[in-house]
Amino acid sequence: MSFAAIHIPDFIVQAVVRGEAALRERAVAIVDGTPPLWSVVAANRRAAQVGIELGMAKSQAAQFTGVEIRHRLPAQEKTTHEALLDLGWSVSPWVEDSVQDTIVLDLAGLRSVFGPEEKIAHELAKRGSGLGLSARIAVAENIEVAILAARGLPDVTLIPPGEEAKRLSALPVHTLLPAPEILETLTRWGVESCGRLAALPVIQLSERLGQEGVRLHTLARGALVRSLVLAKPSDNFQEEMELDDSVEELESLSFVLGRLLDQLCERLAARSLSARSIRMEFELERSFEKGLQLSAHADQHKLIPRKFEKILTLPVPMRDSKVLLKLARLRLQSAPPPAAVIKIVISAEADRVRTTQRGLFLPASPEPERLELTMARLANLVGDANVGSPQLMDTHRPDAIRMERFRLAQEAVGGRRKKASAPGEKDSSAARMTKPANGFRLLRPSVPARVELRDGLPVRVFFYGSSGEIVAASGPWRTSGEWWQDPWEQAEWDVEVRFSSSAQKNKRSLNPGSERGLYLIYYDLRQQGWFLRGMYD
Amino acid sequence: MYTELHARSAFSFLAGASLPEELASACAEREMEAMAVLDRDGMYGAPRFYMAAKKSNVRALIGAEVTSEEGWRYPLLVESRKGYQNICRLITSMKLRAKKGEGQISCAEIARQLGNDGGGLICLTGGDEGPLAHALASGGMEAAMNSVQQLCELFGRRNVYVELQRHYCRDEEVRNKRALEIARKLNLPVLATNGVCHALPEQRELLDVFSCVRHHRTLATAGRLLTRNGERHLKSGAEMQKLFADLPEAIANTQVLASRLQFTLNDLGYQFPIYPVPDGRSQMQFLRDRTYDGMLARYGADNERARKQIAHELAVIEKLDLAGYFLIVWDIIRFCGQQNILVQGRGSAANSAVCYALGITAVDPVGMELLFERFLSEERGEWPDIDLDLPSGDQRERAIQYVYERYGKLGAAMTANVITYRGRSAAREIGKAFAFDPEVLNRLTSLVGAWEYKDANDTLERQFQDAGLDLQHPQIQKFCELCLRFQDLPRHLGQHSGGMVVCQGQLDSVVPLEPATMPGRVVVQWDKDDCADMGIVKVDLLGLGMMAVLEDSLKIIRDDYGEEVDLSRLPANDPVVYKTLQKADTVGMFQIESRAQMSCLPRLHPVCFYDIVVQVAIIRPGPIVGQMVNPYLKRRQGREPVTCLHPSLEPVLARTLGVPLFQEQLLRMAMIAAGFSGGEAEELRRAFGFKRSERRMKDVELKLRRGMDKNGISGETQETIIRSITSFALYGFPESHAASFALIAYASAYLKCHYLAAFTAAMLNNQPMGFYQPPSLVTDAQRHGLRVRPIDITCSNWLCTLEKIDEKFAVRLGLRYVKGLRAEIGAEIIRERGVRPFTSVDDLKRRVPRIQKGELAVLAEVGALNRLGNQRGFHRRSALWQVERTARPAGSLYELCDDVEKDDVEEKVWAGNASGNNDSAGSPLAQMSAEERLVADYRGTGMTVGPHPMAYHRAELRKMGIRSAAELAGLPDGMQVRIAGGVIARQRPGTAKGFVFLSMEDETGIANAIISPQLFEECHVVVVHQQFLMIEGQLQNQDNVVSVKSQRIRPLIITSAPTTSHDFH
Repeated sequence: MSFAAIHIPDFIVQAVVRGEAALRERAVAIVDGTPPLWSVVAANRRAAQVGIELGMAKSQAAQFTGVEIRHRLPAQEKTTHEALLDLGWSVSPWVEDSVQDTIVLDLAGLRSVFGPEEKIAHELAKRGSGLGLSARIAVAENIEVAILAARGLPDVTLIPPGEEAKRLSALPVHTLLPAPEILETLTRWGVESCGRLAALPVIQLSERLGQEGVRLHTLARGALVRSLVLAKPSDNFQEEMELDDSVEELESLSFVLGRLLDQLCERLAARSLSARSIRMEFELERSFEKGLQLSAHADQHKLIPRKFEKILTLPVPMRDSKVLLKLARLRLQSAPPPAAVIKIVISAEADRVRTTQRGLFLPASPEPERLELTMARLANLVGDANVGSPQLMDTHRPDAIRMERFRLAQEAVGGRRKKASAPGEKDSSAARMTKPANGFRLLRPSVPARVELRDGLPVRVFFYGSSGEIVAASGPWRTSGEWWQDPWEQAEWDVEVRFSSSAQKNKRSLNPGSERGLYLIYYDLRQQGWFLRGMYD
Repeated sequence: MYTELHARSAFSFLAGASLPEELASACAEREMEAMAVLDRDGMYGAPRFYMAAKKSNVRALIGAEVTSEEGWRYPLLVESRKGYQNICRLITSMKLRAKKGEGQISCAEIARQLGNDGGGLICLTGGDEGPLAHALASGGMEAAMNSVQQLCELFGRRNVYVELQRHYCRDEEVRNKRALEIARKLNLPVLATNGVCHALPEQRELLDVFSCVRHHRTLATAGRLLTRNGERHLKSGAEMQKLFADLPEAIANTQVLASRLQFTLNDLGYQFPIYPVPDGRSQMQFLRDRTYDGMLARYGADNERARKQIAHELAVIEKLDLAGYFLIVWDIIRFCGQQNILVQGRGSAANSAVCYALGITAVDPVGMELLFERFLSEERGEWPDIDLDLPSGDQRERAIQYVYERYGKLGAAMTANVITYRGRSAAREIGKAFAFDPEVLNRLTSLVGAWEYKDANDTLERQFQDAGLDLQHPQIQKFCELCLRFQDLPRHLGQHSGGMVVCQGQLDSVVPLEPATMPGRVVVQWDKDDCADMGIVKVDLLGLGMMAVLEDSLKIIRDDYGEEVDLSRLPANDPVVYKTLQKADTVGMFQIESRAQMSCLPRLHPVCFYDIVVQVAIIRPGPIVGQMVNPYLKRRQGREPVTCLHPSLEPVLARTLGVPLFQEQLLRMAMIAAGFSGGEAEELRRAFGFKRSERRMKDVELKLRRGMDKNGISGETQETIIRSITSFALYGFPESHAASFALIAYASAYLKCHYLAAFTAAMLNNQPMGFYQPPSLVTDAQRHGLRVRPIDITCSNWLCTLEKIDEKFAVRLGLRYVKGLRAEIGAEIIRERGVRPFTSVDDLKRRVPRIQKGELAVLAEVGALNRLGNQRGFHRRSALWQVERTARPAGSLYELCDDVEKDDVEEKVWAGNASGNNDSAGSPLAQMSAEERLVADYRGTGMTVGPHPMAYHRAELRKMGIRSAAELAGLPDGMQVRIAGGVIARQRPGTAKGFVFLSMEDETGIANAIISPQLFEECHVVVVHQQFLMIEGQLQNQDNVVSVKSQRIRPLIITSAPTTSHDFH
């Protein structure tokens, strides 16, 4: 029985280089971090030779000539890892997903298909190269020996039985991936290679480093025996399609979407799972985008992105592809991609299938799927930002609210009967009921108005095509804020307006049948105009 | 007319956004006659507001917002001196019983302090945070009524004003309505204020950022903690009248109340303590007696010049009534003498023969012809300033505690040090408010202000760009703008390193006191400049590392050499010392050890004490910027004729070869050339000093010209004299100060030359200090033939000590140099070792059980445990092998068993019939190589006592054509050379036009390299980050000053040992 380990050295760099073949022969440094701060997180051998060090700032790294600097791409790392697994599965059904940059295959029974192990190893290297991966491959009878050899030795290595310890002895001790504190102790001891570690007396070593020391010792000797941990099928439900011709029309896009959603739902069904959310990512055509960018070059902050993304957050897990397609279409109708689409990636966040036991005497509530469809239709009509439940924000800005998604009652209380409210809560709600409060009807958006001033005081107001005399005014009440990003500044007036009887007829009714009303008007200093914010009841 | 009676300055720490000076000038611009600043729980900004207001002809009214136990703040205004004393005491008592930065006051305490008549304080009902708003919010109208009535009871009905503020907010207007109702019912006057938090409207942004800092929020999440609008700036009378058009009495009352507030800070009531004089004599008589006693000892009976000078000085002291001050300083000196604490006065006090006679200073001002008026003059009307240098550390603390004890806890306090926002702190705090990622913040703060020299590109913008910020982004632009506006705003109050103020009676009635972070210390709320402005006498008790080194050296010499060295009686012209100075072999010597000093010493070629005085003063920004250094050195070397600006100035400039080098010379020049009096000359210095003002400079210059015209000095000569005076006054070093420092420099040089072992041990025991890091001090001492022994657990003490080997002294490194070893563990090791020697690592662990594995490992790694092995060949790795086993808990099952075994073994060892634990007999680990030992030494102690890292590679380096540092002196000027070494210092001085100076060390000495700005730009990363460098360039060897003008710089891989350098930022 033998095993082959495949290791991708400089995995982070290779993940980037895989998508940009021109970088293969260059010195490459990968930077990562939170914008605008980036530091070097990986570099290939060539880059290290010219002086690039891990942790260096991007600006420092940029001072080295001939070094290509690229940003880390976690998505590409993920796909590279998947490609690595594919490489394994392309040869053997028994694959261990050891770590991100290393997998192990059981080669049992492959001799008859591919020939001797050496041939299999070279075949793997060749296939890896085809996938854009420069892999190190090691074959041994022992899984860990194969992994260590792949990690520490270049190209293809075959370790015959009995030579494990000898072949591993030159490898640096950090190849064993010991815990940092153990590595520090070993460094202090001057134990730098596996051979030196293997030469230490094991009992005395166990007195000093415990069982972990013994494990590392065994590992260094190539004597750690274990069985393969088979990789589970991926939980990553993602389907993607690159289009030969770009698609601009929604109908054509729906067709592709429908196919992808069908496949996705089938995969989910096979695993007895549903989708909690669906993420649709559209890659946009560049030439079209370029044209747009040229026209909009004056404002760099409004560049058209290369990607367009929509997320369907579902109220309950579902996997009915037809419903999902309807939802997706509605979302795209309300906000279509800004350019022609050349690639679509759809991924699902999987969840367990919904199981609900309805109470016999509970009032019937709409099916969540239907409700979601209705909400999507509404959003399509009035815009995403205008659907949901308004929440007050902690700011002095008078009309600031944010919309939160409606939640189903079951969702809110976990599908159980609502708990009896605590005595305190009851009291407070009672207090709220008894406390007299003025009602205020807020107009969103505010209605443009015209105001006549005398000595700085408003005396007449015009809105909705009518005018009224201001008989009493209180103000101005000034608010301003967000000077650091999106400044606003307003002066509000509470005014009592008396409308003439003729005006009363024309007046669009905020307060039907009344000649007088209490209104809130404001002057927006940024827009330099008057607005009607609403009316007091 | 309107007077603003409720304003906060930035000294309300994060609750106000304008400096007191900005408030005062805004007040003057709005033609307001007076204004009151009420900072939170303190008088922090009061002196600065008072001084600034005085200049702008604004009456500075004083008060404070005092926090109550219930959470509101009483806005209190000071009506009379009694009121001021009361508020100071109230604040002091609340501060002293709480933690730093906290404190509240109770009603009962106010009542107790103020008595029945309101105690000279006026109380307002306050704005958002006042008692009225608090009561209305919590209990409605009835509670508000009770609250105001309570204020009337506490402060007296006629001392309570119902405060109305209008910031265009509905809630506030509701409160105003209630307040008016209460005022009417209780028949109290109403008062309009604007609750000012900043002088100008645009400063609201700073206030918002401060709110974020205070509440640990970001601007995005602070919500309603930020201001509702920008209305809290200082408004003019007309604006306020318009705002309160419906309540004219509220405006009128501001004038009425302002006229009641008669107290200003010139009426502080401060008195200097009276020195208790025996026998009923006057303080002056006592001082006179002490001075003449001292004069006899210092000058003998026949020195007529000294007698005359002392008589003159005593007359001035008597006239200014300063006898008590001198006696108090003399008393501190006497205490130090009794306690064997080294002390020496410095600064302008060294100009006084009285100070010299009293033993306060050690420089003879008569012999050196120093100018007394630089220290004290009748015209100035200021307290003199005496600074005392003490050994840093415990000895200085003893002197400070003596002053506390002598004048009582409320009679003496340290002056404060106002910590202000600078580039880094501002960028960090504002960055946090802007919700920048912590990594961005770290990068930003590490980039801001890296070097002393700023080239044209080294702007804040460039630094932000380097940190990866997009300067085109509007938000980033706002961030940069705020960073600039944040500069100099107060951040918090620290403690000044040595300034102490003392007072006759209760200091807490002069200025509020606060607890300092350090236990047993009390701090006043003003910094030393404020104290000086307010006429409070200050004595600086400064800690000087070199004083501690001198003191420790003397002790070591006494204990180990068995000799007694008296610093005041050192041989005056020791040839060895001068020879050493001439060679610039001055590593470790006080003030003359830096690279710049070393490059000057061979050219100056000191031969007497005065040359050292010049040497100390010449490498300063003044002479360098004023281009005095080269002319002086050339004249000294006879390469330039000695000329004088004017024949009449010859007596003044003769001893510095016609080149003005000291402040005193400028003053004397003004006195001779323009006929200034001593006091006027000092006034000139101040006019051009740090707090310079254009108008004052112009006035003085005019006076100078008039005086010179009168004395017949005109034309080019006049212009030259004016230029040299004006360009030099700011940066010049006082001769007296230089002389005091030169004494210490001479003493340090003498001790290093004659008692190298003692001096080196003392230097190592007082780190960090000076220009060089411990490894360089050790290497230098080794080059001078001193043996330095490694740390050894069987004989090292906590500090470095001396050992005698072959009749010569060697330094044994102390355990303090073991990185990560706790002092208490070190003490435990030494205690246990005193009981009986350690026999093994196990024994050490058992007897010092609190020692941690990490500590043991470092000890083993640096070889400190080598002698614990009981057989030959026990090396560092053997110890490490044992440490790992010893430190590992055996587990409950084997613990007892192990102990029994270990005890058995130990008994056998003591009985001499076993060689210890079997396991300790050896280890399977290989011995460390030389490079590994080097790495371990640097990692574990920051230095090595073995060969310098460069020494291991000398043969290879020679093959590469690299010269050693020692070789360079013998090579001709202009030769192309290649040098290499470990960088021990990097400097980019502000005065050097962007040039970078590197000091590189090898086993033979230190080589200096000069890097041009262009080359630095090219090799920035290598120069700043590499530990070892190879530099090619042209050798400059002039007058025995050797350096290499760099042309090519390459990193050199010598060792992976973590060596360090001293980089000057």
